[in-house]
Amino acid sequence: MISKRIIYALLYSKGQFHLSRNFSLQKVGGIDWLKNNFGFGETCDFIDELIILNVTKNPDEKDKKNFLDDINKLREKIFVPITLGGGIRSFKDAKLFFENGADKVMINYLAHVDKEICNSISNIFGNQALSVMVDYKIIENKVLTFINGGKTKSFFFDHYIDQLNNFKFGELILNSIDNDGTAAGFDDQTFREIPDNIRNPVLLMGGAGKPEHFVNILKNDKISGVVTANLFNFLGTGLKEARNFSINEKIKLIKFESLNNE
Amino acid sequence: MLKKKIGIIDCDFGNIASLVNAIKYLEYDYKILKKNTNFENFSHLILPGVGSFHEAAIKIKKNGIDDKIKEYIEKSKPFMGICVGMQLMFEKGVENGIENGLGIFNGTCEKFSEKLNLTLPHIGFNLVENPNTKIWHGINSPSPFYFVHSYRVSFDKNSSYENTKISKTNYGEDFISFIEKENVYGAQFHPEKSHKTGLSLLNNFAMLN
Repeated sequence: MISKRIIYALLYSKGQFHLSRNFSLQKVGGIDWLKNNFGFGETCDFIDELIILNVTKNPDEKDKKNFLDDINKLREKIFVPITLGGGIRSFKDAKLFFENGADKVMINYLAHVDKEICNSISNIFGNQALSVMVDYKIIENKVLTFINGGKTKSFFFDHYIDQLNNFKFGELILNSIDNDGTAAGFDDQTFREIPDNIRNPVLLMGGAGKPEHFVNILKNDKISGVVTANLFNFLGTGLKEARNFSINEKIKLIKFESLNNE
Repeated sequence: MLKKKIGIIDCDFGNIASLVNAIKYLEYDYKILKKNTNFENFSHLILPGVGSFHEAAIKIKKNGIDDKIKEYIEKSKPFMGICVGMQLMFEKGVENGIENGLGIFNGTCEKFSEKLNLTLPHIGFNLVENPNTKIWHGINSPSPFYFVHSYRVSFDKNSSYENTKISKTNYGEDFISFIEKENVYGAQFHPEKSHKTGLSLLNNFAMLN
């Protein structure tokens, strides 16, 4: 059977990678900083996939081009699957991401507003290539979904999930705004509200702070993987430790042969 | 003897950038081939793909690339299809409507059975058996490779698969994850996304004469 996935996410904007806490962003460094100070290539020996999101608000053509140029530099010697997202509003945006090394593209806003464009992407590139991320917050015991970088309420969670039945997509990533960047652990409740008729892989994002957090979630049958964007906790040796810890705790994960220690 | 040069077919479906990076990393000479390029000048040919079978099949037929691939294969030079590129080498696919493939291998590419109630798409690392052929030299059996698909060619227990070597992978059922017959190779998984093991497989392919 298939193994579980530990996915690393990088939040990019205008040449810089960012740390996020409850969706407020803080610059931490550029590509060279990432490569030189954190042995990024080695980190990739311990992840199943990489997600890179352009978190620039309303990116213009120049922002989009710079994002792809930087990504192309970053992924030169990285042989892991890559999902690119951020600012996809059209089929053309998605196609450009595929042409620049994306195995999958990730949409968020578009899944709220334009079923036709979403389906045009999956019809050409296949359902598996369209990942949907949804940001949510719990307010007075109700789960609400958000757009616009966590600023604008969109739907009740159950309504959002219901309308996904109209979409052809691959995996679904639940991103908890409340837990984002807190290192307090993943939200282990909301995903239980997803009805059984949604058979797509479900991944959780937001809150990873230590190896135990990965294990607690990955042992659940409904969860295919976890995503962390926590730069400081998990760059360097953090992901290696989290992965090895999870394997010791009997989570089904692959121990990859290292490309970098030859 | 032809100088080693790998042709990577770009049919405008999917992600060829990663494969190009992998071939560069392995330090082989390569060229990206558009529809009008002559395939004859290349020692090895790869057809990669992210895309739905239907769209991809229509594209390669419209461009006449299907015939050029068949001609290339007849010359006994190494050819590899990856993901949809592999699926296209079978007789038929049903994703987004029934469409014929190249028919180099027997079988139909269909969706994983609904009866199995699987999480779909099948995304992540899964294990592939090593069928003990040249291209698998030095690779453990089974080894993990990256999959991202909802359609597959199922493994038929009753077929003899004459002159064909098959690797199986299990996801609720056995399906064909790698297939080879003489000089033709097909991988349902993405070697260019499968860490060091994937690069070893690509390197072995490039080493074939």
